[in-house]
Amino acid sequence: MKALPASRPSTELFRWRTVDIVVVALLAVAFGVVFWAWGTYVWAWGSFLGPQTESLLTGVWLLPAVVCPLIVRRPGAALFGELVAAVVSALLGSYWGLDTLLSGLLQGAGAEVVFLITMYRAWNPVIAILAAAGAGIGEAIHDLIVSYPGLDYAGRAAIGAAEIVSAIAIVGIGGWFLVRALRRTGALQTFPSGG
Amino acid sequence: MLPAPLAPTRPAFLTRTTPVARLVAGTAWLVAGIVTLDPIVPVRLSLAAIVALWLWSGLPLRRIPGRLAPLGFAMLSLTVFSILLSSANGDRSLATLAQIGPARITGPAISAGIAVGLRVVVIALTTLLVFGPSDPTRMADSLVQQWHVPDRFAYGTLAALRVAPFMAGDWTTIGAARRLRGLAPRGPVARVREAGGRLLVMLVSAIRRAERLALAMDARGFDSGVRRTHFREFRVGWRDWLTILVAVAVAAAAFFVPR
Repeated sequence: MKALPASRPSTELFRWRTVDIVVVALLAVAFGVVFWAWGTYVWAWGSFLGPQTESLLTGVWLLPAVVCPLIVRRPGAALFGELVAAVVSALLGSYWGLDTLLSGLLQGAGAEVVFLITMYRAWNPVIAILAAAGAGIGEAIHDLIVSYPGLDYAGRAAIGAAEIVSAIAIVGIGGWFLVRALRRTGALQTFPSGG
Repeated sequence: MLPAPLAPTRPAFLTRTTPVARLVAGTAWLVAGIVTLDPIVPVRLSLAAIVALWLWSGLPLRRIPGRLAPLGFAMLSLTVFSILLSSANGDRSLATLAQIGPARITGPAISAGIAVGLRVVVIALTTLLVFGPSDPTRMADSLVQQWHVPDRFAYGTLAALRVAPFMAGDWTTIGAARRLRGLAPRGPVARVREAGGRLLVMLVSAIRRAERLALAMDARGFDSGVRRTHFREFRVGWRDWLTILVAVAVAAAAFFVPR
């Protein structure tokens, strides 16, 4: 058996422990449930405000792409977390389902690139904000193609900018404070982020 | 709190197909639905999806409209705003169909807006066809066997999914505990703050659960590195190829056949 006890932080960066996999998956499931509730109860009503205002709320969709890597600090955590959250909201009956997989892939990849550039070594608020912006760019690319293809340039630029600002505020700054609050409860002691 | 998943009530053609085959077939429709602004394509695809749901999905048809009702909001607002903000409205060579205050509305804007609204319908119906006919376990089995997704990730996710209903219970318990301590929220601002506090406690409890679950899984050799065999084997058969072939043919027909 080469399994490590769950309480010992692994030194191998690329080897995901079982606890890493299950914690990211379960956090993503929690976020998937939040997505579903957000999409059904908030988003449906927010859509009457018009696409630019609505885009200021889109950051919520990107939480797993930044919060999961900040906690487990493993390569691929942004992609894995965002994709699982997308699958869960599809399984719960979110009507975007299949398209959520596509946007989840782009959003996760946008954040993953930023963590990859740091070689998974830097975990500070600046990186969190940059990763959030990366995820926001991935989201904007998807939304401008799928949801707002016929709009004029000013309209599309406003939507793209609003989505990136929303990502930075809700996911970059908000996500950082969320992880800090989790660390203060002592819940992250199993992870490199807990110390 | 969570809606019960829509499960097939009788065996049907699509319930006997491999989940990844449906994923490929559904992706063909998704792509065909989103690459054009001609409304005829999503109309054709939606009709094809309704026929497929009716004849081959095995899903309870009566529960589908209720499940898709919230979709109406998204579709309506997406259509209206796509029409109002369309770049075609600024084109002076096009005839004005309507003038609402400062907004000028042209024919191409309306047709593109309807196409974008109908995309939502295509996406929703295709999602039902892909995920409806089988449960998450079979999807994970199929992803591991056909697409060689790393099995620890696929089954780790499945284990996490099983815990999801407990988290809904946690949410209620945490709320009750906070009320008991006199932390009941009054007013909308307090309600949002309270939801944030509850979410944090729920996430802590989710992490604790995940740690215990991972420990239990490792104790049973989940991470032993021994090659895993499969309890349910999926073989890609004629039904899968037929599903993919028909889906691609329908997508191509919806896209290329002239009006």
